Amino acid sequence: MDTKVKGSKELFDEVIDAGLCTLCGACTGGCPYLVPYKGRIVLLDNCTLTEGQCYQYCPRTYTDMNAISQQVHGVPYSKDELGTAKEVLMARSTDARIREKAQYGGTVTTLLSLALSEGLVDGAIMSKTSDDKTPGAFLARNVEEVLEGAGSNYMACPVLEALNHIPKDSQEGLAIVAIPCQAMALAKMKKDPPQDRVNIGNVKIVIGLFCTWALSPDGFHHFLKENLELPQVTKFDIPPPPANRFDAYAQSGKVSFPLDQIRKYVMSSCSYCLDMTSEFADISVGSVEGIEGWNTLIVRTNAGAELVEMAKMKGKLETDTLPPQNLAHLKEAALLKKKRALQEIVKRSGDINNLLYVGLSKGMVDKLLSE
Amino acid sequence: MASIDIDAPGTNQLLIGNEAIARGALEAGVGFAAAYPGTPSSEIMESLASVSKNMGIYAQWSVNEKVAMEAAAGASFAGIRAIASMKQNGVNVISDFLANLVMTGIGNGGLVLVSCDDPSAISSSNEQDTRPIAKWLDIPLLEPGNFQEAKEMTKWLFDLSEELGTICMLRSVTRISHARGNVKLGELLKKEQKAYFDQIHDTRNVMPTKFMPVPSALRHALLHVRLDNAREKFESSPFNWYVGPDNADLLIITCGSCWLYSREAVKALKLDDRVGILKLGTLWPLPEKFVERHLSKSQKVLVVEEIDPFLERSVMELVANLPPGAPRPLFYGKRSGDINAYGELNPDKVIKAVSNIMGLAYQPRDIEYGKKAEEISKSNVPERMMTFCPGCAHRASFWAIKNALKLDGRNGIVTGDIGCYSMALGPAGFFQVRTMHCMGAGIGVANGLGKLGQFGFNQPVLAVCGDSTFFHAAIPALINGIYNQSNFILIVLDNSATAMTGFQPHPGTGVSAMGEPTKAVSMEALCRSLGIHVDICDPFDLESTTATLLEMMADGGAKVVIMRRECELVRSHREKGKPYKVHVDPEKCIGEACGCDRLCTRVFRCPGLIWDKEAGKAKIDEVICTGCGVCADICPQGAIVKEAT
Repeated sequence: MDTKVKGSKELFDEVIDAGLCTLCGACTGGCPYLVPYKGRIVLLDNCTLTEGQCYQYCPRTYTDMNAISQQVHGVPYSKDELGTAKEVLMARSTDARIREKAQYGGTVTTLLSLALSEGLVDGAIMSKTSDDKTPGAFLARNVEEVLEGAGSNYMACPVLEALNHIPKDSQEGLAIVAIPCQAMALAKMKKDPPQDRVNIGNVKIVIGLFCTWALSPDGFHHFLKENLELPQVTKFDIPPPPANRFDAYAQSGKVSFPLDQIRKYVMSSCSYCLDMTSEFADISVGSVEGIEGWNTLIVRTNAGAELVEMAKMKGKLETDTLPPQNLAHLKEAALLKKKRALQEIVKRSGDINNLLYVGLSKGMVDKLLSE
Repeated sequence: MASIDIDAPGTNQLLIGNEAIARGALEAGVGFAAAYPGTPSSEIMESLASVSKNMGIYAQWSVNEKVAMEAAAGASFAGIRAIASMKQNGVNVISDFLANLVMTGIGNGGLVLVSCDDPSAISSSNEQDTRPIAKWLDIPLLEPGNFQEAKEMTKWLFDLSEELGTICMLRSVTRISHARGNVKLGELLKKEQKAYFDQIHDTRNVMPTKFMPVPSALRHALLHVRLDNAREKFESSPFNWYVGPDNADLLIITCGSCWLYSREAVKALKLDDRVGILKLGTLWPLPEKFVERHLSKSQKVLVVEEIDPFLERSVMELVANLPPGAPRPLFYGKRSGDINAYGELNPDKVIKAVSNIMGLAYQPRDIEYGKKAEEISKSNVPERMMTFCPGCAHRASFWAIKNALKLDGRNGIVTGDIGCYSMALGPAGFFQVRTMHCMGAGIGVANGLGKLGQFGFNQPVLAVCGDSTFFHAAIPALINGIYNQSNFILIVLDNSATAMTGFQPHPGTGVSAMGEPTKAVSMEALCRSLGIHVDICDPFDLESTTATLLEMMADGGAKVVIMRRECELVRSHREKGKPYKVHVDPEKCIGEACGCDRLCTRVFRCPGLIWDKEAGKAKIDEVICTGCGVCADICPQGAIVKEAT
């Protein structure tokens, strides 16, 4: 495993052209050469730098997992299936309007709205789909705009491009809604703060989303366009197993596709991802199997805990204990993702000691693989 | 530019070769002049147009060379002396018409074709030699060896053309057309001319018109008689002469500007008494008896001419036909390798060839001299690459094209042709243009590339052409693409001028060569009338121009986008002042650091941007910056600031 920081040429050789790019957006926005377009990172002109922040913060170049965990959580990388966590709960918004618009319990929308309305942050970076359901990075500045971004579209979106677009002298506090690869890139930025970009210290809260995989914003969007009147669609959903389908809701009703029909649009890079629950976020949010209208909520850091506490205190969020069988299921799924990813990585590198981007001790890897 | 209509016979004027040619036409009483601009020919038309009203002549910039030649022939058919001028490439464009014109012959007005060739292709796509075309199409051909001859030959060619009843051709080269020398003026011929086309079918004239190339074989035979007549006149022409001893160690046969190089070489080598020079001005048909007389002067013949071995082969043909027992000289020239068959010649090259043949160890100049001269000149001249002017819209257009092609991601191709935008083959246009041939070739090539879908081809095809080129040669190819359902985008880089050759007007500009207002032809209306989608972009709006291209590429089919922004040289000539005041905020400029890597001075490379190596920051060269403000839009750090003036 090569631990050196390199340039854009190597970023293409080792990540983008190698099919490992997650389209997180970390390499874009602060660079005139790298631009995300229809599911690809495009190099507009050659950059001559042999060391670049594109390579440095990419979540698929070498990442010292202990070091970034130490940075975010104050402890080395946890062997727990769900990563470092203070608490694992069930939560939902108390606001019916939010619950209706949002995916499941509306927890993310509620927490962002609160952070904005209480002035904890000035903006929230998230993905939002356009009228024709093309996902794009977006900076929401108020509760109404947060609601526009509510709901999942399951497509990869270079959300971190919007962070890198923020002027470097900006003092505004930020929340970011991140999928696991994006949370990892943010952790790498926190560990070694970027130069000539907005202060990473401005990022006050990272709300991570559970993610088993993301769909290609080019191929899958094309599929959607062929099969649906996209502007009419109000919500997408992949209900928890064993449903095994992808649902699109419109005023005229629901259209379902078998999940197997969708799977071919999964980003190739997702099979190399160990993280299902956004382990480097402050708070992680997902669905709850079998309990409709609620979210699973993992509180990981002090900042995360404070926000959740405030939401509860102000009556914005209602929480409950996650039933033990749900927790067990979640852990099982998270571990399965880690194992599969490690197996794929080793299969690709052909060397048990070469885990590509994953900077973990051999002991930890053996432990994960043997559990 | 000197005024060519000075009525001062007998005085000497300093004229460039092209002005001398134009003056010659005036002294011959030319009535009609047509041309398409092209270096090194443009000044012939420019100077004729500038005096057109005073001299009572008609002058036009035609849409292309073929139309210019045909229009001039039309004038000749109605009894008006006419001239058509063009660069070497244009002669190919007119060749189909010429091949028929030589069959029909001209009208009562003398008709002269001037081709200005560009050896070394200093300002051309190729260095084609047009002399063989005269031989190929049986056209009497003269080539001046100095500025005086440029005038005299042109003037005489009108007489010759009328006497022979056929078109006559003058070939010039860059070093005659664009160099300047003394020309002794003759009388200006200002006469009332009445145009009348006399091939009218009526009771007095029941014969068919003479302006048809049939019966071809008979007319071809007649043309050969005309050529024989021309040869006869050339035998005693004052444009051919010999200087040197009666018995020479070496005979140089030469023509055009090579006459000057040859004379200088002989002088420099102090060989006046050993080397003779036969200077020919009438190149085709060759005055065989005249040449034959001089061939006996030496056992060794060196032919000094640029590009093709035209004279060399003609003289060899002549020798091959000499009677048995006649002396046969040893030939030196392109075939022997003593004179290169490409690129310009100069006195040094001729000195080298003569020294080699004569066994002399003459060194034209100290080897170190060249190196020293280069060093000295470098120390005073800023290093600049060949590029678009500051503020040129083409730079912005190619920036948008480059980004659109990269974003599209299918390795799209740009096919190009002739204009300032040919520079997009190199760093000026970010290496975007991938093919360059003749006027309008980009869209023709795109027609083929855009029909390869059945062979698995899916690369987008963008053809670029200028506004003048659009009218010159793009329209039939565009129609072909629409009719045959090809897939390409024609990008008209409309800077509202024939910029590369000096801002001559064209059908889209609304002004004639003589400076009169005319109805501008709308290229968008024309394209839309063909039933295709046409967009118009401002290339300075990089974002929307890029978006338009991306959308068009995704759509497929034949489409047109007009990238319209006036040539900056035209704008700044008309409007004083700059649209924006541009400066670099050194606090924000991060130079070579990650997040920029000198995008503006390394990739965008407008000459108005300077890299301050010591400070590690970009700067604006306020002297040459035109204030277009495009660089402010590409700066990733917002460090380049534009303020409206």
